[in-house]
Amino acid sequence: MTGQSDEQKLAEFEARIAAGDRVEPGDWMPDEYRQNLIRMIGQHAHSEIVGQLPEGKWIPYAPGFRRKLILLAKVQDEAGHGQLLYRAAETLGKSRENMMDELLAGKAKYSNVFNYPTPTWADVGVIGWLVDTAAVINQTMLAQGSYGPYARAMKRICYEESFHIKQGYDAVVALTKGTPGQRAMAQDAVNRWWYPTLMMSGPPDSMSDHTARAMRWRIKTKTNDQVRQEFVDHIVPQIRAIGLEVPDRNCAYDEKSGHYRFTAPDWNELRRVVNGDGPMNKERLEARKKAHDDGRWVREALATKGRSVS
Amino acid sequence: MTGISPNIPRDPLLKLLVALADDELILGHRDSEWTGHAPILEEDIAFSNIAQDEIGHSLALFTFYSELTGKSPDSMVFERPWKDFACCRFVAYPKGDFAYTVVRQYLFDEAEQVRMNSLLDSSFEPIRGLATKILAEEAYHLMHSKGLVVRLGDATEESHRRMQQAVTDAFPQALGMFETLNGEADLVKAGVVKPSDVLLQQWLERVVPTLTDSTLKTEARRSDGTWNIQCKPDHGGRVGNHGEHLKQLVSDLQSVYRTAPGAGW
Amino acid sequence: MSDTQWETYEVFHQSRRGKPHEHVGSVHAPDPEMALQMARDQFARRLECVSLWVVRTKDVTGTDYQDPDFFSRSFDKSYRDPKGFNAPAKIEPDTP
Repeated sequence: MTGQSDEQKLAEFEARIAAGDRVEPGDWMPDEYRQNLIRMIGQHAHSEIVGQLPEGKWIPYAPGFRRKLILLAKVQDEAGHGQLLYRAAETLGKSRENMMDELLAGKAKYSNVFNYPTPTWADVGVIGWLVDTAAVINQTMLAQGSYGPYARAMKRICYEESFHIKQGYDAVVALTKGTPGQRAMAQDAVNRWWYPTLMMSGPPDSMSDHTARAMRWRIKTKTNDQVRQEFVDHIVPQIRAIGLEVPDRNCAYDEKSGHYRFTAPDWNELRRVVNGDGPMNKERLEARKKAHDDGRWVREALATKGRSVS
Repeated sequence: MTGISPNIPRDPLLKLLVALADDELILGHRDSEWTGHAPILEEDIAFSNIAQDEIGHSLALFTFYSELTGKSPDSMVFERPWKDFACCRFVAYPKGDFAYTVVRQYLFDEAEQVRMNSLLDSSFEPIRGLATKILAEEAYHLMHSKGLVVRLGDATEESHRRMQQAVTDAFPQALGMFETLNGEADLVKAGVVKPSDVLLQQWLERVVPTLTDSTLKTEARRSDGTWNIQCKPDHGGRVGNHGEHLKQLVSDLQSVYRTAPGAGW
Repeated sequence: MSDTQWETYEVFHQSRRGKPHEHVGSVHAPDPEMALQMARDQFARRLECVSLWVVRTKDVTGTDYQDPDFFSRSFDKSYRDPKGFNAPAKIEPDTP
């Protein structure tokens, strides 16, 4: 390995990846690979912890013991996933402090979906069902990726997210079987979350800067549009099977292709929201910042104490 | 439905179960408010765990209560008026800063140890199994909350100041956990429970030395083997004398459920 | 003093007695005892677990991927391998 030129190292690196081998921390890697992954994993981690807020808001109001416990467990899982992902990014050389500081300064991106409000209880179930389905489809694909720590984190996270989907679906089904008011609440939530969830898979391939390199280095093994189509094909029959509507008149099964046609989301909205101009970006980041600031004395105290006893 | 043998006083027993179940539920509810707002990710995960456990204990106690009375846990928690709750006032206060939460959790966890241990040889057999199960989970809670108290008590000037303020506020409130319930004398006579003042002494024996060792002052002094309290205990919760905090909490707790009571959720 | 998310500890998890401890990830913690509690919350939340070990990341001594020579096998050492021998799989007893 030593004495090789960067071109030789790169060629060997790409050959290993093409052969399905994994990359581990400490392996030589092109700087672009490293930076790409730090960005991607960091965004994923930030999404988990910001994502605690839209659902966590409903814990005090959860209707019934079971729903309360389930929601609490789900939001706990999300914190845990954030923790795992920050650790995976740290193996690439960036500290969690650094990543947190960037997030709180509004300099880091995270998934668009968590910038939308959750005005009703039904939003909780719909997020668990729709958003987590899209997430699992994406993450199952990422679990085949080339970077060891990230792929391993994906496997663990997918396992837990599969419960979240079931729990969300179960909560929505309960609403569809209930009063007209409950039913309407469920449909309203689906109407509001449909397009944001479609946007979760990222911009269309034609507009995506990062995809080509990401595919070559097996950071991703499917394109955004492929993942999005997979989500639509999977979820539309489920939505209709419980008597709810997809808020898209063009959404129909195409016999020839074997896929569902659907109206593309507004990509300008995605760009705006991801760049900080969504309905809840400011409020959610402020909440995280407050938690961070209010908790500084705790982190410092425990670090001080830790140093003196070890 | 399970029956209660005639030598066990039924009403006082039911009141006790509700009081304990309410304590767990309300504290678990307050703990859950930290999700997404804790000082560090690791404590976010830890407090979500503790909140789930406490709410789980409440569910276990209410489930047991429902076997004796036919009233479901959800109907007890989501349909009962706030004035009928029998939790101590202590658990309903807002979560405050992290120091208050940690101190409250610690004082509660030690009280659980004392109370559940005292039920292990209760003359009312079914409660022994419940107490055993609760104690198993509480072991971890106590390790966690005590660990934080011991560390934060004297780590930095700021942590000491906040922890001391928390103890000053929480200690008189915590005494409300041992407020005597109506009918307790009958339960004691039947061997179902030990007297509240005995439990209180056992609790003081555990918490005061730990707090003192962590440089935190309390208003409890020991003389001739007995602990004496020099502050006014925050009593009233057991007889339904609650404050605005509980009213708001219960209103929030029940708000969604009440939009379609009796419906499935 | 700089704010910190605390140093890291590697976590090893044993699902049942008799099985080896497996590396499952790492946690940030201020000291070993809290690391153990955090490891429990993070890695034993759903998995069956009878034992957890935590080791400070900086106390782990490991090999370097960039130095494959550490594991090199240049010469034939098949004598260490069961496949390196030519013996019949089964030996029949002599018939009387």
